[in-house]
Amino acid sequence: MTTTTPEAVPAGSEWRPLVDSDIGIMRRFFRGRRWYGAEWYITVFGALILVTVLLTTLLAPIIAPHDPNEFIGAPFTAPGHGLQALLVRKGESPIRAGDDLAGDHLAGKAIGTQRNKNGAVWTKEKGIERRRYNKQEEMIAALERGEVDIIFIGAEWLDGVLAANPGLEMVQKGIGRRYWLGTNNLGQDATSRLIWGARTILLVAVMSALFSSLVGIPLGLTSAFVGGKLDKVLSLVLDSIYSFPGLLLAVALAAMLGPSLINVTIAISVVYVPTFFRIVRGQVLSIKENTYIEAARSIGARPHTILFSYIFPNVMPSVVVLFSLNIADAILTSAGLTFIGLGLPPDIPDWGYDLNKGHQYVVAGHWWMITFPGIMITLVAAGFSLLGEGLSEILNPRLVKS
Amino acid sequence: MLLILVTLVFFILRVIPGDPALAVLREGASEEQLQSFRVAAGLDQPLHIQYLKFIGGVIRLDFGESMTRNVPVIDEIKTFFPATVELALAAMSVTATVGIFFGAYAAYHRKKFSDYSIRVSSIILYSIPIFWLGIMLQMVFGAQLGWLPVAGRLDAGNTPQTTITGLYTIDAILTLNKELFIDAVRHLILPATTLGLVLAGIFIRLTRANMLDVLQQDFIHAARARGLKERVLVYQHGLRNAFIPIVTLLGLQVALLLAGAILTETTFSWPGLGRLVVDRIYDRDYTTLQGTILFFALIVASVSLIVDVLYGFLDPRIRY
Repeated sequence: MTTTTPEAVPAGSEWRPLVDSDIGIMRRFFRGRRWYGAEWYITVFGALILVTVLLTTLLAPIIAPHDPNEFIGAPFTAPGHGLQALLVRKGESPIRAGDDLAGDHLAGKAIGTQRNKNGAVWTKEKGIERRRYNKQEEMIAALERGEVDIIFIGAEWLDGVLAANPGLEMVQKGIGRRYWLGTNNLGQDATSRLIWGARTILLVAVMSALFSSLVGIPLGLTSAFVGGKLDKVLSLVLDSIYSFPGLLLAVALAAMLGPSLINVTIAISVVYVPTFFRIVRGQVLSIKENTYIEAARSIGARPHTILFSYIFPNVMPSVVVLFSLNIADAILTSAGLTFIGLGLPPDIPDWGYDLNKGHQYVVAGHWWMITFPGIMITLVAAGFSLLGEGLSEILNPRLVKS
Repeated sequence: MLLILVTLVFFILRVIPGDPALAVLREGASEEQLQSFRVAAGLDQPLHIQYLKFIGGVIRLDFGESMTRNVPVIDEIKTFFPATVELALAAMSVTATVGIFFGAYAAYHRKKFSDYSIRVSSIILYSIPIFWLGIMLQMVFGAQLGWLPVAGRLDAGNTPQTTITGLYTIDAILTLNKELFIDAVRHLILPATTLGLVLAGIFIRLTRANMLDVLQQDFIHAARARGLKERVLVYQHGLRNAFIPIVTLLGLQVALLLAGAILTETTFSWPGLGRLVVDRIYDRDYTTLQGTILFFALIVASVSLIVDVLYGFLDPRIRY
């Protein structure tokens, strides 16, 4: 007779349910898809947008091709247009207009470029001998001396240079470095402004949401927890701010505080303090009635223990959701403020400010000045909204019925 | 509540640095000029006296005189208010049409692909900066296609002979002026669509939530059991019952509507209250600003009150 001892069962063969810790974090992440359905997709979609924008923001100095405030080229260059032109001495052109510039048209020729200015990438691609000059005048003089056969020049200088040097002619233009999204009315690179603008708007929106939550959450917690007269007064004051058109309040504040990054953040955060206050207060009021709070009180827990260990953790999920939705709102408000021309000094690249400038040229047909900043604002705001929406269903299935 | 708002507005505008006398008279004004301006505007008095005077005025709907233009603030508001009302009403009808239709549709097709796509697009719609949508519409329909005018309420040179309500479209109907009516409507289309569409983003969600509640009620099941057509079921029985809370919510969006109107008016050079505020900010015209901002608050408060009362009236089950 053999008796089955625990040792007799081979290790690992007993049945046990698959628990979370058995699968990797990625598997768990993707499993959520089945569990939460569409909300999972909404959340992940929002998060993906945000991660992309956040990366852009962090890497702005590396990604952005230019300084956002530098005047780098001719104003109103349409997206994808090259800004450089090739100049030669009259009558001695090694290339002609319309040449595709491929092959050996340029073989053996020397080209002059301006250091750090133009032509570097282009000449490298073509593999032509390149001489660099510090100043435009030196470069032109070199061409006239015959030191180089051809020079590269920014399109914005073209007319001036041709007028001043009658011995030169232009053989090709619209080549060389291209501006993906064109340039604005001042000749600044729209791509770089777009990338740096992400930094500004995220900074303002996240900071103001942080400020309003730092003020609004404690106020809401204490107001609802303490109750009585304090609650009445606080609710009255904050509700009256809440009932007010938020943008108008922000406009008034921003106008009075004057333009600066910190002022616009303050103006926006004041607007959203009541939102945090109301949500937190409402939550605390309902949580307070639960039996476990009564139980905690009956075993002699101190008020601040009840508040921070029993109530606050239950408020957290709605705060997280609200925070995300609030950032989306703050982005729109901040863009609205800078669109009106308030809030930020002009040397900070900002999407709202760019839209304001673009608006002035809309009839002239410079579509790229307004299309891209607007798309970016929508994208980022939608990212935060989607994230908030999705999270609210996932974290608080009872809270949102719709 | 209004009193608190009045106080807040007053102090926000006064406590923050910046000398209105200097701002109005510009640099280079002599000290006597500045002083006489301050006396005239009552700025030389202590803050609490100014405050009490201001409160006293507000109770009589007297917002004082504009600091930069010598007209009573209430007259300025009267000039600009009708434009805002016209825009708001037109935008609201766009919002209601789009919002109710798509909201009801999404609610009926709950948890289906169309429901999710409507929900996601409503979020995206709401995330569009209102002024950007305005500029894009201006660009496409105004600048590129040339179909619609991009700014103002009427073509230059076309002014209404008589103003009855101040709403040009309604005035035109009342005076049977066909030309004026067409002109006013053409100018109204783009701003109203802009403001209406963005607000529709929220409204779709509200309608959907309310419709969901209604569609799960017994009388809907009963009606379905009687063999009613689904369309009749949703758009007549369902929508009619969801209508009351929906209208209420529409009324409560007024604050949002007015905030949106500020940006829409700036985009379309629409001479309404929002533009008045933005223009006067640059002049530091405190009295006009105070007056207009307060007027906004008054509107929001009174509309909410009216909606509350109406709600009780429309649905006798509600008792306060």
